Formats: sequence, C-alpha cells, structure tokens
Amino acid sequence: MQCGWPLLGPLQWIRYVNKLVKVKAGKDEEHRGWLLTVDPVSASLVLVNFGEGEGASVQVVMGHAVEEVEVLQEANEEITDRLQASFLPPRNRTRLDP
Amino acid sequence: SIPTSAGSESDAEQLQEEQHARSVLRETFLRCLLSISNKKVQFRMHEKVKVDATFGASDIDVLNFQVSDLHTPIGVQKEALIRCQDVISFTFDV
Amino acid sequence: SWRNSAAPPFERPGERRGAEMKKLYGEDAAKILAMEAAMQLTFDRNCDLKQPKYWPVIPLKL
Repeated sequence: MQCGWPLLGPLQWIRYVNKLVKVKAGKDEEHRGWLLTVDPVSASLVLVNFGEGEGASVQVVMGHAVEEVEVLQEANEEITDRLQASFLPPRNRTRLDP
Repeated sequence: SIPTSAGSESDAEQLQEEQHARSVLRETFLRCLLSISNKKVQFRMHEKVKVDATFGASDIDVLNFQVSDLHTPIGVQKEALIRCQDVISFTFDV
Repeated sequence: SWRNSAAPPFERPGERRGAEMKKLYGEDAAKILAMEAAMQLTFDRNCDLKQPKYWPVIPLKL
C-alpha cells in the first residue's frame, strides 16, 4: 500500500485488522505490530506487540504521517483472540471476519 | 439518508457494510484512547523530537492530546496540549 | 428555492451532527455518539481544570 492511506476508507482498512503489518511513517520511522484497529476519523493505526507475559506494547501511528502499510503475516485465531481481549471488555465484541 | 434510486439495493447493502466497518473500527479506537488515560506514553514527533508524558485525554477529532508531566528537552511542563499534526506516533504499555 | 432541498431551514447543530453520524455509522450511530460525547467531555473538563498550554508553542509541522 503506497501513500493514500487516509483515503482508503473503512472497507479497505478493516481488511488489515488482526494482521501483522509493517508501517512506514514520517521520514524514518518503521513499526511492526498486529493491527488492532484504524481510526476512521484520523486514519491512525493501533499496533500491538505482545511480550513474554500478560503485557503488551501498543503503538499508535498517526494517519497523516503514514507513508506505507505492508501486510507481513495473515491473522491467526490465537493472536486475534489475544488482540481483541487486550484492553477491551470481553463482552460486546463482534468478532471480525478474517 | 440512504439513497433509494432504482437498482440501489446492493448500494444500500454496501453502505450498511461500510457503516458497520466504520463503527467497529471507531469503537475499538475510542476504547483504546480511553484506556490510555493516566498511562505513561512516549511521543515521537516531527523533527526527531521524542518526549515522555502522562496521557490525559484526546479530543474526538484527534486534533489535540491533553497530557501532564511533559518532559520537554528544556524541562518538565506540568500541563500541556500536543497537536496531533506534530506527532508521528506514540507508544504505551498495557 | 435558492436553498439546497437536502438542507432543512433553521437546522440546529445537534440535529445536523446526529444526521451526519447516522450516515457514517448507521444503526450504531447512537452508541458512537455517546462514547464520543463522554470522551470530549473528559477532554474539555481536563482543559478547563488544568489550563494546558500548547507544546511546542509553534507547531513543528504546519
């Protein structure tokens, strides 16, 4: 995905959810993580990296700074469950189709 | 309102699909922002500026972040607003 | 009429925002609107209380 990220729209963004992505942002930043969501207002991405234990590190990349988004790995069920449970109430969640 | 011109059934369907996708994405993002409240965050900004702060709140248009104890290169600013346009990314632990 | 028929007269801002939200979020509009209202309220209250100043004073990126 080259540029134009903020213009893609919800139906495109949601296809990246739960996947491992590499995001280039600003002049020289590169982030990898499992994509939790994309804010439809600002096109910002929320990436999660799981550590050894319970915790996770979260990166929010602002939509306006995104240069490129690349899918590195497809979603898998274990990661999807962990992602959706990471800091959201377990109830009221609609599971996203892979 | 939803367009209802002839042959627009699939359009309406796609609109509904898009609305659903948008609300799932937005709800998750809003929950994420709400969960950062009082957490330590590190902002990476343009011009290679990196600063630590305690996250307060974001406005809903994602234009400004309200933070406390902002560690600027020249000292600590107790209360601050950060322009989202200045930010490339920020990180926190959950 | 000189007016766009899609825009009713003397529309109140709250109504317009509700209609926009409905268009964007469909049947979930009320839920998203409520979450946003709570978040904006927290932001506004914190700003009133703490009177934060912009940092940096001059935007890094115009």
